[in-house]
Parts: sequence; C-alpha cells; structure tokens
Amino acid sequence: MLPLTLLRTAVFHPMLVELKNGETYNGNLISCDNFMNIHLRDVICTSRDGDRFWKIPECYVRGNTIKYLRLPEDVLGLVKEDVNERPTRSGPPSRRPYRGRGDGGRGGHAGGRSGDNRKGGGGGNRGGHQGSRGGGRGGQQGGQFRQGR
Amino acid sequence: MDISIVNNDFYLSGIATLVDDIDKQLMVILRDGRTLIAFLRSLDQFGNLVLHQAFERICVGQQYADIPRGLFVIRGENVLLIGELDYRKPLRVPLFEVSIEEILKLQKEDLEKKERIEKLRQKAMIEHGLVDDGNPIEEHY
Repeated sequence: MLPLTLLRTAVFHPMLVELKNGETYNGNLISCDNFMNIHLRDVICTSRDGDRFWKIPECYVRGNTIKYLRLPEDVLGLVKEDVNERPTRSGPPSRRPYRGRGDGGRGGHAGGRSGDNRKGGGGGNRGGHQGSRGGGRGGQQGGQFRQGR
Repeated sequence: MDISIVNNDFYLSGIATLVDDIDKQLMVILRDGRTLIAFLRSLDQFGNLVLHQAFERICVGQQYADIPRGLFVIRGENVLLIGELDYRKPLRVPLFEVSIEEILKLQKEDLEKKERIEKLRQKAMIEHGLVDDGNPIEEHY
C-alpha cells in the first residue's frame, strides 16, 4: 500500500508530524490530500528545542514543509482491512475528460505514455509494482502522479 | 523507465531499485542527520517511504543507543541515503551500546563542542575577510 494511502487510512488517528524546521505537531488527522497537505485537530505544537509548547485547536500544514509523520502501529492493520474491503477496479477511470489520445486509458494501463513523459510515466508505474491490486492501483497511481506534476 | 544493462544484469534507475528492498531491514539517513533502521513497507514515485518497526540509532563516537519509534511515513525529499543492512558481516569498527539517557547526554555534549568549534572557525574566517552564509538549501535543517 502506498505511503499516501496509509496516510488516508490514518484519518482520525493521532499522529506526530515533524516539519523540516524541527517543530513537531501532535494531533488527530482530519484530512489529507495528494500533496501531503494535512489538517489536524487538537494539536500540541512543540518547538525544535523542545522548550516551548502551544495548544492549537486546529491547524493546516502544507505538505512540502513536512519532514516525516509518525503514526500509531495499528494503522497498518487498518490498511490491510481497507484493501480487502474495496472492490477491485477494472478498466480505465472514466472521471477525467478524454484529451486527444485518451487520458483515461493512460490512467489504467502501464505502457501508454507519450515519449517525453517516459521518465515520469515510468516513475508512476514503478511505484505501482508492489501490492496486489490491479486496475485500482494503476488508476490511483496515475491520479496521484498527475497531481504531483 | 530507464534500464541499464551491465554484464548481462539489468539495473533499474532511481526509486525503482528500492522495490527490491521492500520488507527488508534498511538503514535510512535523513538530511537532518538522523539515522533510522526499519523495515521498508512501501514507497511511491516521490520516494516517500513507509518504515515499520523503526528505531532511531544515535551514535556518538563508538557508543550508540536505539530509540524505538514505530511506524513512519517519510517524505521522500528528506531522505539522504538508504542502505541495506547485512548483519552477517562483522562491524569494522565495533560499537558499544549504552542507555538512551546516556547517549542523549553524550549527544548534547558533542553538539555543544561542535558548536564551539564552529564559532571559532567562523570568527577566524571573518578575520581573514571570508564570510560563510551557511547552506541556504539546507537551512531548514
């Protein structure tokens, strides 16, 4: 399961977020997105040196300022349940409008990327090698990558 | 996908090489200098990692301590290097384990010593007319 998928499963669970500047934010995850932007509630912010504390009812952390997140171990068990519950997606995701050569097709399939995007496409598909889900994984991977671009 | 063929073996480029390291115990060094040892559970195209049963190993000189940290999701851009661990090989430089309180104390003393040396270095540089702006790229760390 992908890192961001794990994060999405950890919604409403407590977690620790350390930012690049060393500050730590302890709180419950309310939501997150593909950029790793997160919304936390009932947060305790600790300064880098550990000498100052703030209690913040709600906060939003931009994804690119995050160094890492520490999650409770039981979240891993929850993800495995989610994977079994979700029905396997077959075929290309039909949400996106077709752009010329069929963008929806690219989301579902591995090889259909244009030449100059090969490296990016490879990266998107490389990430999708592990895990057991088929079309669902590919579609999700494509969506994730597109937003990153 | 970039593949290079060397001596009839093929190597994938970039993050794809980590796919082989899934469920292995790896050493991950972050850009802020932290060393983590954990099982790699998954990764994505950005190099974001899911590390399981992680512990942070703090080394000061030849002494070390492991602090258990649990489950990590690390944003890929903060990773400096990832290395495979081979416990079969003997350590070239033997390490001695100490308690966590002890290593934190040693780490603090080591940091203060380094700061003092750095201050003197900066002072000497300025006396010679050289100014060190630090590293603007790594300023967060």
